[in-house]
Formats: sequence, structure tokens, C-alpha cells
Amino acid sequence: MIALFILIPLIVLAALGAIWKARPVHAALLLALSLSLVAVLYLLLGADFLGLIQFSVYVGAVAVLIVFSLLITRPSDETKEIARRPQSILAGLICAVPVLAVLVYSVSYSIGSDEVSESSPSQFELAELGKSLFTTYAPAVMAVAVMLTAVMIGAALFARDFNQRES
Amino acid sequence: MTPLALLLTLSCVLFTLGLFAVLTRRNAILILVGVELMLNAANINFIAFWRYGQAGVEDPNMIGPMFVLFSIAIAAAEAAVGLAIILMVFRHTRSTDLNRLDSLHG
Amino acid sequence: MNFLANQVDLSNAVDAPAIWTTLEALPQLPNRLVEWVGFQMNAPAWLATLLGMLVSAAVVVGVFLTCFALVSLVERKTLARIQNRYGPNRVGPWGLFQPVADGIKMLTKEDIVPDKAEKLLHLIAPIMIVIPAVLALGVLPYGKEWVPVNLELGLLFFFAVGAMTELSVFIAGWASGSKFPMLGSLRAISQMVSYELPLLISAIGVIMMTGSMSLPSIVEHQSQYNFGFISNWNIFTPWGLVGGIVFFIACIAEANRCPFDLPEGESEIVAGHMTEYSGFKYALFFMGEYLGLFAISGLFITLFLGGWSAPFAGLEFVPSWLWFFGKLVCVIMTMLWIRGTWMRVRMDQLMRFCWLFLIPLSLLTIPAAGIWRFCGDGFLAGLLGWGVTIPFLIIPYIIITVILNRRLAPATRQYHFAE
Repeated sequence: MIALFILIPLIVLAALGAIWKARPVHAALLLALSLSLVAVLYLLLGADFLGLIQFSVYVGAVAVLIVFSLLITRPSDETKEIARRPQSILAGLICAVPVLAVLVYSVSYSIGSDEVSESSPSQFELAELGKSLFTTYAPAVMAVAVMLTAVMIGAALFARDFNQRES
Repeated sequence: MTPLALLLTLSCVLFTLGLFAVLTRRNAILILVGVELMLNAANINFIAFWRYGQAGVEDPNMIGPMFVLFSIAIAAAEAAVGLAIILMVFRHTRSTDLNRLDSLHG
Repeated sequence: MNFLANQVDLSNAVDAPAIWTTLEALPQLPNRLVEWVGFQMNAPAWLATLLGMLVSAAVVVGVFLTCFALVSLVERKTLARIQNRYGPNRVGPWGLFQPVADGIKMLTKEDIVPDKAEKLLHLIAPIMIVIPAVLALGVLPYGKEWVPVNLELGLLFFFAVGAMTELSVFIAGWASGSKFPMLGSLRAISQMVSYELPLLISAIGVIMMTGSMSLPSIVEHQSQYNFGFISNWNIFTPWGLVGGIVFFIACIAEANRCPFDLPEGESEIVAGHMTEYSGFKYALFFMGEYLGLFAISGLFITLFLGGWSAPFAGLEFVPSWLWFFGKLVCVIMTMLWIRGTWMRVRMDQLMRFCWLFLIPLSLLTIPAAGIWRFCGDGFLAGLLGWGVTIPFLIIPYIIITVILNRRLAPATRQYHFAE
């Protein structure tokens, strides 16, 4: 519980940095920090497997992809971004604050109805997860597999430079 | 405040932050950063309800973690395709600023 | 010596001379000592446990830092021998104190931070390189009893912390704020991301055979003997042979060593992402690289070469961690040999080799491992397994290399004036 109280502000702070930093690479690195802290949160909650998967996918793949494409695309200079800030923040707040209000209201509403005890939290069973992955959820696994193959081919096709075809 | 409420609040805040990033950023890659935050907010919900939401239930199930597993796989795929599309756009317009993509503008 | 007696009772060597059993317990000695002292002084349990953990971590770090110093010398000596020179031979007998001299030189150098650098990130990057290597070293089983941290998901943990390296290499390259580090880190990231795939996929076969991701139980599974003397290492199975070779090649690439050392190719981009570093930070990069090399070679040994198990039955009386380190020496010497003899590949060759050869081959090992498992144990079943899996692996290999990649193969060089 104490660990949660320490970790959650850190996650929010890192996420705030990720959306606030004008320099794109800083934003991407703070996103990586925030998501790896979410991985630590999963570990704390007892979902070891998911925590490690979260860490290796988000830090090892997604964050690396993002910084890589930031390097390739030479991001536009941040002075323009900063100059545009007042109006964009106003617009963002107008849209985001009602959403937050609705979300928090619905969460408090749904929790307040029945008391959830802290005792006897569920245990993470990796073997059970693996078994059901290839029995109950086999169609979903196959669908994801097909999707990942399609994504790999599609991404390779998209990213290919058609103008300078190699000999 | 129960841990469940704490985690759900965290997820609400993360979702809103992601939404804010999507609304205010102009760089397409940084919009993707916001989308990743929103996806993670949803994942935290699943884990929180799996962990604390079935306290009195006999034979608790593993649907929450299972969903998160699929969600992570799909998020990685989404990032790959999204960035590939952004790279392609960049090659055409020499910019990732979404405000510049207005060639269909009436 | 209460703590030692306790340990000797635990080890299951029956007929072995006393010296071997004591040696087997040697790595735990500091740990046991601390626990024993804590017990004598009536320390609270959590304090004794914490101190014990700290001491066992210190043992691992100490051992591998010594290895780092030794290997940095051995590497220069070996390369020198391969190239027909002497190598370092001035400091101490046979140049033995060369690592010390190098260390002093590194530590007393001026620490230069470029003007254009991002100061904070420039500082963080070398630290972030060392952390995952040390964390990864913590989960490997070095001996029967010597497992610093026994995680149920040890293999996944290893790969998860390894994922951090890519980001830290990027930070190092980007925060330096100049061209060569940037190019070097671009190269490094694309190489590491690509070679992570065959590394992971060829490890899946081992997970399938063992039915566990815990590294000690993977070694346990390989420490039995077939027909009384042939060890049950994964490399002695068809899928394990292919997977092991793929894994070894991917290891070399992950550790950024020749022939895949493009990220820091001295003749092309100075030192890659380390160009703008000096003094202690450069030493940290160097250290992180070597510790990462030990970690990934250790994982190769654990997954395919049987970890701490002896190669033949009847040799178990030798302490298990000696076998591990003996294998580590062999693997690292092989890497040095490769470094001394092979030339650096080109960037497009590097990527092509990974995506068009290693990944298809490593994917093949998964169904091959499934077939092998399905065939079962015993002599006839083993024969059947070999008979089925060998064509299963070799025919696609021929298709991949000879037919599909024919266009990409480098042409035979014509030596016009050789005759």
C-alpha cells in the first residue's frame, strides 16, 4: 500500500513530463520511464509475467521505435510548439477536464456501491494462463499471430523507400 | 482509499493525460506517445480489477491479465504500423507536423 | 565452523575427496559467514537476510569485475598472438598489471562534457549501460548451490533488463550532441533490435523442452546423462544445435563484438556512441560492454551448454561452478578467435543476415523442438527424433541459403593476378 502511494505519483509525474516536454526526445524518454514504472506497478500487484513483458515490449520495442523515428524525421523545432502553447493548452483542457471529471465520477460511483476488501487478492498463475492461452483463447492467439504477421509485412512495405529502389 | 480506488484513479489520470497529449501535440510521433499512455491506462484497469475486484469470488479467473497480454501485443503492433505510416508521410511532406497535412483542404 | 559443516552436509557428492566438497561451497562462504555471524550476534532475521543478499551480490560483482580485468588483458594478448605480436608486456610479469595501469589511466583522465551535450542524460547513459548487465548477471545459476537470485521467470527477466541497453545506447548517442555518436547509436539500435529476435526465438525451444522459464531448472534438466555418460545438453539435439548456433551468432551481435562491431567501428565512426565520453564514464561503457558479454555468454552456456553440469558422467566431483567458468572461458576464447580472424561485415549485410537467415532458421527450431519432445526419450525414440528433425531443419536451410538467398550471396572474388 505504501509502495503504491510512492509509485503512483511517480508514474503520473513521468507521464506529465512526457506530455509537457517540448523537446520530443525528452518526451519519448519520459514516456519510457512512465511505462517502465507501470511495469513495476504490475510487479507489485503480483503479475510478474505481465510486468516483465510490459518492460521488454514498451522499453525495448515501443520506446526504441519512437526515439528511432524521432531521429529519422528530424522533429520540427520546439520554439513553434512553445509559441502555440497557450491556445493549445486551453483547447486541450476544455476537452480533457470534462473527460477526467466523468471518469472519476463513474469510478467513484462504481466503487462506492459495494465495498471491495483488500484481503485475499488473486494470485497470478502462469501455467493456467499458458494453458488457457492455447485452449480457450486459441482463436484469439491465432488472430493476433495473423495480425502481427500482417503488421510486420505492412510496416516493412510502408517504411520502404519507393523512390530509390536498390539495384 | 482502497488500493482498487487508487489504481482506478491513476488510470483515469493517465487516460486524461494521454488525451491531453493527443489534443495538444502537433508532432505525429508525440501524438503516438499520448495514445500509448491511454492504452496503458486501460491496461491498469484490467490488472486492478483482476487483483482486487474478485475478492469474494470463488475460483478467480485470469481474464484480466489475458486481456492485458493481448493488449500489449496489439499496442506494439500499433506503434510499429503507426510509425511506419508517419515515416511514409514524412517522406512525402518532409515534416511530421500534422497541421501541414492539409493538401485535401477545401 | 558451524556454517561450513552445515554446507558440506547439504552437497550431495558422496565419494568425492573433501577438498572438492569444500570448493563446491566456496562461493557461498562469505554469505554463510555473514549469516553465521548474524546468528551469533542475535541479529534480527531481516537484517541477516539483507546482509546475506548484499554479500552474495558483492561476490557476483567482485568475481565478474575480476573477470573483466583479466579478459581485457587476455583479449589483447590473444589478439596479439593471432596477429603475430607480443601484446602488452611492460607492466608487471607478462603484462599482468596492464588492467591496473589502464584503470589508473582511465580514472585520472579529465572528464570532458561537450558544450552541446545534454548534461543530465550524458551522465545517466553510462550508468544505465552497467545496470542491466549487473542485473542480468544476478539471475544466472553458476553452480548447484550458487544461484544469486532464483527467479521463476529468470529467462524473461534476463531479456527484459537486456531491453534497457538499447535505450541507454540511444541516450548516450543522442545526449552527446554530435554526429558520430548519433550515427553510432542509430547503427547500434537497429542492430540490437534486429538481433534480439533470433536470440529470443531460439531460446523458446529450450523453454518448450524444459517446461519452465527458471534458469536453474533449465540447467537441472540438462544435467542428466543419456546412456549413462552422454550429457543431456541441449546443444546435442538437432534443434538445440541449430538454435545454439543461431543463439551464439546473435550473442556476438548483441555484445557488439567483431564481426558485428559496426556501432563502434573504429575505422568508420570513431567509437560510435562512446565518442564523446572520456575518463571514468568511458570506463563505465567499457565495463558495461564486458559485463554484458559475460552475461550473454553465461546465458548461452545456461541454455545450450548445460550450465554448471559436467560434460561426462563421473566428472561431477569437480565443483559445479568450475565447470561453468571453464565453459565461460571456452565461449569467450571462441569469441576472441572469431574477432581475430573475421572481418567486419557491412551494415546491409548485417541486417540481411539477421532478417533473411537467422530469423527463419530460429523459427524452424520451435516446431523442431516440438517434434523432438513428441518423439520422447530412449534410444529408438531418439533415433526417430534425429531422423525426423534433421530433414526438417536441413531442407529449409538449403532452401533459405542456396535458393532464396542466392541473389544476395557475395560473388566469388576473382584474383586476376594470383596465378
